[in-house]
Amino acid sequence: MKRPIPIVVAALLLAALVALVAGCAGGGASDAAQKVYVKPGEYDKYYAFFSGGHSGQVFVYGIPSCRHITNIPVFTPEPAKGYGYDEETKSMLGGFTWGDAHHPGLSETDGDYDGRWLFINDMPNARIARIDLKSFTTAEIFGPIPNLSAAHACPFPTPNTEYVFAASRFSMPVPRDKFSKVEDYAKNFNGVIAGVKVSPEGHMSLGFEILTPPFDWDLSDAGKAASLGWQFFTCYNSEEAYDSLEIKASQNEMDFVAAVDWRAAQKAVDEGKADKIGGVPVLDPNKVKGIMYLVPTPKSPHGVDVNPTGEYICASGKLQAEVTVFSFKKLMAAIDAKKFSGEKGGIPVLNYDDVLEAKVPVGLGPLHTQFDDKGNAYTSLFLDSQIAKWKVGPPWNVEDKVDVFYSVGHLMTSEGDTRHPTGEYLVSMNKIAKDRYLPVGPSHPEATQLFDLKGPKMELLYDFPTYPEPHYAQMIRAEKLKPLKIYPLAENKNPYKIGSAEEARIVRKGKRVDVYMLTIRTHFTPDIVRVAQGDTVYFHVTNLEQDQDITHGFGILFSSKNTQVDPGETKTIKWLAERTGINPFYCSNFCSALHQEMQGYIEVSPPGTRIADIQRPDPKKLEEIASILKK
Amino acid sequence: MGYLGSPFSTPERRMILVAALVLLPVFFLPVLPVWHMKLWAPQYREGLTLSIYSNTIRGDLDKINTLNHYVGMKSITPSDFREFTYLPQALTALGVCALLAALLNRRWLAILGWLVFTGFAVVMFRDYANWLYHYGHDLNPHAAITLPSFTPPLIGYAKMANFKVLSFPGVGTVLLGVAWLLGPAVVWMERRAARRAAPAS
Repeated sequence: MKRPIPIVVAALLLAALVALVAGCAGGGASDAAQKVYVKPGEYDKYYAFFSGGHSGQVFVYGIPSCRHITNIPVFTPEPAKGYGYDEETKSMLGGFTWGDAHHPGLSETDGDYDGRWLFINDMPNARIARIDLKSFTTAEIFGPIPNLSAAHACPFPTPNTEYVFAASRFSMPVPRDKFSKVEDYAKNFNGVIAGVKVSPEGHMSLGFEILTPPFDWDLSDAGKAASLGWQFFTCYNSEEAYDSLEIKASQNEMDFVAAVDWRAAQKAVDEGKADKIGGVPVLDPNKVKGIMYLVPTPKSPHGVDVNPTGEYICASGKLQAEVTVFSFKKLMAAIDAKKFSGEKGGIPVLNYDDVLEAKVPVGLGPLHTQFDDKGNAYTSLFLDSQIAKWKVGPPWNVEDKVDVFYSVGHLMTSEGDTRHPTGEYLVSMNKIAKDRYLPVGPSHPEATQLFDLKGPKMELLYDFPTYPEPHYAQMIRAEKLKPLKIYPLAENKNPYKIGSAEEARIVRKGKRVDVYMLTIRTHFTPDIVRVAQGDTVYFHVTNLEQDQDITHGFGILFSSKNTQVDPGETKTIKWLAERTGINPFYCSNFCSALHQEMQGYIEVSPPGTRIADIQRPDPKKLEEIASILKK
Repeated sequence: MGYLGSPFSTPERRMILVAALVLLPVFFLPVLPVWHMKLWAPQYREGLTLSIYSNTIRGDLDKINTLNHYVGMKSITPSDFREFTYLPQALTALGVCALLAALLNRRWLAILGWLVFTGFAVVMFRDYANWLYHYGHDLNPHAAITLPSFTPPLIGYAKMANFKVLSFPGVGTVLLGVAWLLGPAVVWMERRAARRAAPAS
């Protein structure tokens, strides 16, 4: 009767041991898998918008599944969506065929994402695009902004999207067509900070520019809540070097964080205190005071990030091991007391010690900081290849660190640069993928990692590659967006729209031919187009479909012409009839069961052939089509 | 004064009034659907809907017509239906008839109205069935996809090509049925009242 007890104890111990081993071996991975699993047919909790870098696009992902949902072409022609091929988007691209998109900036209301628009910069060509988040298409491209060279510190919208900003990364003579020898850099070159106004409808216009010494302006963030009305920028190369920057721009112990009072700057312009340079109002701090201040900041600071309450400005000196935290309150006190140590290009310079709040020993190579809902900050460490989590506020402790693979640049937390971060997820955008995925030759994808922030420790959930090259990204709760499913035909105001086959026609005026064409499953009307060699032909294609995801393509053989017309849309393609002969066209987007039959011919007669001024489709055929399309 | 000429007692009269009031809002203002057809396909798991009112057809008409052209089905167009030009008026007239019968307290008018109503309903159902037959049989011979002729279900469920179709009455028809049933109900109530009165006399 005494034996069963030790057996029971032994069995329990054994079970506990098995459970422990199982927990260590597989428990973590399956936990992580569950946290990123989104059932087939279900939706992700967040949209993530990744800048596409030199692809000139925006990549859209779902978080937490990390599924790639779509790309939004912005600065680069993109045949998959027919972007940059039709006359409207072609003219929006302004002749450029690339851009380097760095920083997405979701529009905000009261310092929180409102889901109306996404702004994004084209750094080298100093442009800012606005993407409409109803249609997920580029609605407007503003720029090249006069006088500006390389808009890197851009766009970083203000808390009510009054402004987006841009600042020169590569200083140049101002205006841009002014010649100077590069050796006269200090004398003849200038940096420029631009405030671009955003109207309530989203339209961009230049509000003001500020002329600065020839520093390299790097990054920016908008003041919010406590620091509303101010915009912060970092710069490197306060040494004003024009060659071998790698060495010469890394000599000073201190570069600067700039604080711009954008309301004061706009007021100065409105009061006529600006000079017209390059056709836009430019403020010279030598003449106009009270618009901008410089705070000495250690070691070529990169990111500058304002915490959710707006009280702290966190600058990451990329060549040191600390995040430098400034107090907005101290900054204001120093400005009010006029405690300046001097001026740079007319801009008052404050004392570092007067504004400093804390130095947080995060680790080597800090670049960017984001926040959560529990008063924590997360800083990416390029050199240490880590993320550091630290407490905002005394004693400014580092609380956790995780390794990332490899060399993180930007990071984003869920709604992490707003007044109300959600503190759920962190995405680390690593610059080096190296050996993380199936090898695809020497050109590597970028490495991206998803972390869970809900626990006290950051937990790695998932690794996923992206196409080159996201810099910054932002994620927004999915329920804030209400994208269109189709374009309602009734709201299509395009002057070349047609509403029925009866309106389809080909109109000739001299050598210009306008083809008013419609698409509907599964044909073009008209599907035979007669022109003469030397004609310039405008195909105005209206997609009469009103059903979800029935996009028709319009591709012309032996040409670079292809566009995609979404349901309810009208697009115009310009094509030159260069050769006599037959030129087929077809639907380039698989639309339906008879997609393969969706085609037509352009008949190009020899030059000078007489062709009717107006051609309409054969009435018999029209009748047939009308019976299908009759509404 | 025979049965037809005699007035109703108060409860029966109230029921005729109810029948009139049920009918009038349904058809005088055709806001309630009479019949629904719901279609599902692998690509339309959320389903497409046709809703027939006394004066028009609403729902995913354009989407359904675009799909139907593959099999050469005639496009469904509200203006093709002469019925929509008189259906609301006819049903309103029947409602007015019931209303007058109740207000003027005329049994013959109520019975006449009910009989016309019954006949009218039978004719309209026939008509609806004819339309369904027509759409499924009068197919364009040149259509891309050749289907054997079919008749979509008048009521209930059927499978047609890659579509599943469910056909069922709308709220309008349910109310119509309630109003119609009030006719026999009144007769039954009168009989019951008569039986109860008989032993006492």
